[in-house]
Amino acid sequence: MSAEALRTALFWLFAALSLALAWSVVGNRRLLRAAAALMGVLGCSAGFYALLGFGFLAGVQVLVYVGGIVVLLVFLVMLTRTQALLEDEPTPWRHNVGVVAALAFFATNLWALAGLPDAPVVGPALGGDTRAIGRALLDVGATGYVLPFELVSVLLLAALVGGIAVARKVDPASQSAEADHG
Amino acid sequence: MAENLASGATGLHAWLLVTSALFSVGVYGLLTRRNAVGILLSLELCLNAAAVQFVVFNAVRAPARVDGAVMALFVVAVAAAEVVVAMAIFVLLYSRRRTVDVTDLTGDGPGHAGGAP
Repeated sequence: MSAEALRTALFWLFAALSLALAWSVVGNRRLLRAAAALMGVLGCSAGFYALLGFGFLAGVQVLVYVGGIVVLLVFLVMLTRTQALLEDEPTPWRHNVGVVAALAFFATNLWALAGLPDAPVVGPALGGDTRAIGRALLDVGATGYVLPFELVSVLLLAALVGGIAVARKVDPASQSAEADHG
Repeated sequence: MAENLASGATGLHAWLLVTSALFSVGVYGLLTRRNAVGILLSLELCLNAAAVQFVVFNAVRAPARVDGAVMALFVVAVAAAEVVVAMAIFVLLYSRRRTVDVTDLTGDGPGHAGGAP
């Protein structure tokens, strides 16, 4: 089997797998299983990145997205578990609205993108992207990303502080005392 | 488009078809889930599909550069920030109301301001 045929086979395998798992993410009545399916979808996307030649991106996807964000989501599912563990099936009205909106978006998107000429998708050699991404993130030139990079670090700090400020338990007595001082 | 899909070649159109389908499935979940955490899961699906599309266009249009890949990294960072804030809000909501059902969040609710449930 040639490398190109292998790439094609892997692409369609990841595509079919991620679509099936994505359907499980939105349709499964048990949220914990939906979160596990989301892990699978994101892992397939890491496979997509590797197929495109962005090995560093695939590693970040697995380490940060699958290993960090989805674990946080699993905690969230467990922390907000209601007595009705299962989510109801959507009512026919909500289901129909969802199907119509999703299909309309899909059709519009394909209509907009169909004008693009089809081209072979060839990324960099696998693993060759790490140095380039590092240089781009710290490049102070006109095509560099040092300002957004620093802004993202401020955003993460703000989200951290904001998350603590919103979720911490406030004693009602101290809260009224603070209000008196303010 | 059709002949390329039939031959199984992974051209740009095949990639765009898959990412668009993933995003559409996420849109369906956004509109049909009742649990706020389920909505967040669907949103992650949409974010991820958009990030993959950034990287696909990077590989097609400018294989020598990494701008799309950098955008995908930013998407991951923003998703992390978003999940942290959502987690704080949902945990607070759950401790006040004992539910994160978005169809049940109008009015003061049963547990508002320490009132009896």
